[in-house]
Amino acid sequence: MTLTPALELTGLEYAYRRNVALRGVTVVVAPGEVVAVTGASGCGKSTLLHCAAGILEPDAGTVRVTGQDLSALAEQDRSALRRTRIGIVLQFGQLVPDLSLADNVALPLLLGGARRDPARAAAVQWLDRVGIADHADAVPAQLSGGQTQRAAIARALITDPSVVLADEPTGSVDSQAGQDLLKVLLQSTRDRGAALVMVTHDNLLAASADREIRLRDGKIQHEVTLR
Amino acid sequence: MATAELVLGLLSRAPAHGYDVKRGHDAWFPDGRPLAFGQVYTTLARLERDGLVEVTEKTSGGGPDRTVYAITEKGRKHLDDWLADPVPPAWGTADEMIRKLVTALRTGGDATSFLARQRAGHLRRIRELQELPPASGDPTTNLVRSYLVTHLDADLRWLDLALDRLTDDKESS
Repeated sequence: MTLTPALELTGLEYAYRRNVALRGVTVVVAPGEVVAVTGASGCGKSTLLHCAAGILEPDAGTVRVTGQDLSALAEQDRSALRRTRIGIVLQFGQLVPDLSLADNVALPLLLGGARRDPARAAAVQWLDRVGIADHADAVPAQLSGGQTQRAAIARALITDPSVVLADEPTGSVDSQAGQDLLKVLLQSTRDRGAALVMVTHDNLLAASADREIRLRDGKIQHEVTLR
Repeated sequence: MATAELVLGLLSRAPAHGYDVKRGHDAWFPDGRPLAFGQVYTTLARLERDGLVEVTEKTSGGGPDRTVYAITEKGRKHLDDWLADPVPPAWGTADEMIRKLVTALRTGGDATSFLARQRAGHLRRIRELQELPPASGDPTTNLVRSYLVTHLDADLRWLDLALDRLTDDKESS
């Protein structure tokens, strides 16, 4: 039996006006697999991730999440799928500044219609898993970069997504905090059986992946299995 | 490889048997290759011949080796000189990675695939080092590990550069 891939990007093309960022990139990620997408600045790796997350709509090609073609879904269904099957961790956390950490982490559940109390309880549980339950009532400005990223990881995983997409997840913290954060990210995604796609220019981060895909000028330059 | 000087360093703490020298070496470098017994004894014999160590106790018979070695004054001087002398920066062209790349490029071999496989090998080694149990309370071993990771990372940056250049050359030709 062949498992449905967690994520299937087929022939993705994308251009920012005249600047071509992706030139027909195909990537298939198995459930539970950890993939590092690497390459120099401007190679197209963040654009690839944003297309996979549904933040950008590719000019050509398809994005399938657990077999569902994003472009074939009605807007409402696409939003629901993005909210429940995809978790996103960006470089600077991108938490809502006025909300407490618990409310930030609970947000995907609340947007999906969950009631406030159970959503908040689940958020506090997740903050505990990533080691910052003591800060549940703090707002993002009161936290370090590493703590903010831990909250972003909790928010990405609270809906039990099939795939977590992380863009330079340790890029805003120093190297020791980055290693600690990486352990939390890998452990949390593995515990839930989610696939993880990390965009990074950091070799120490890429080393922890099962597979490395390196982009150059919007195309796959090489792909190697690391595990 | 400076095995002789490492043996002198180990003996500078206290006289020891060959077995203790081997164990001491392996404890100093827990992530490295263990020192072979044969190498310990040939090194001790050479150091004794050169007057850098001396035998202070010897029991013969059917039991295990009971020869105890101690560092001499001459040996201590040699060790101090060795520690004071900075290591000459490596000649990069002696590195096997460079030799393989140059040979592949000069003979029309598949240099890009070689570099990609080399990159994977380096990434795997970094992961092995990252996954080792923490050497808590042993700052020396942690320093050695960070040296290894930093060097692998530097190699990887160069491998990226080389891969990008070869890819650009291939596309522009």
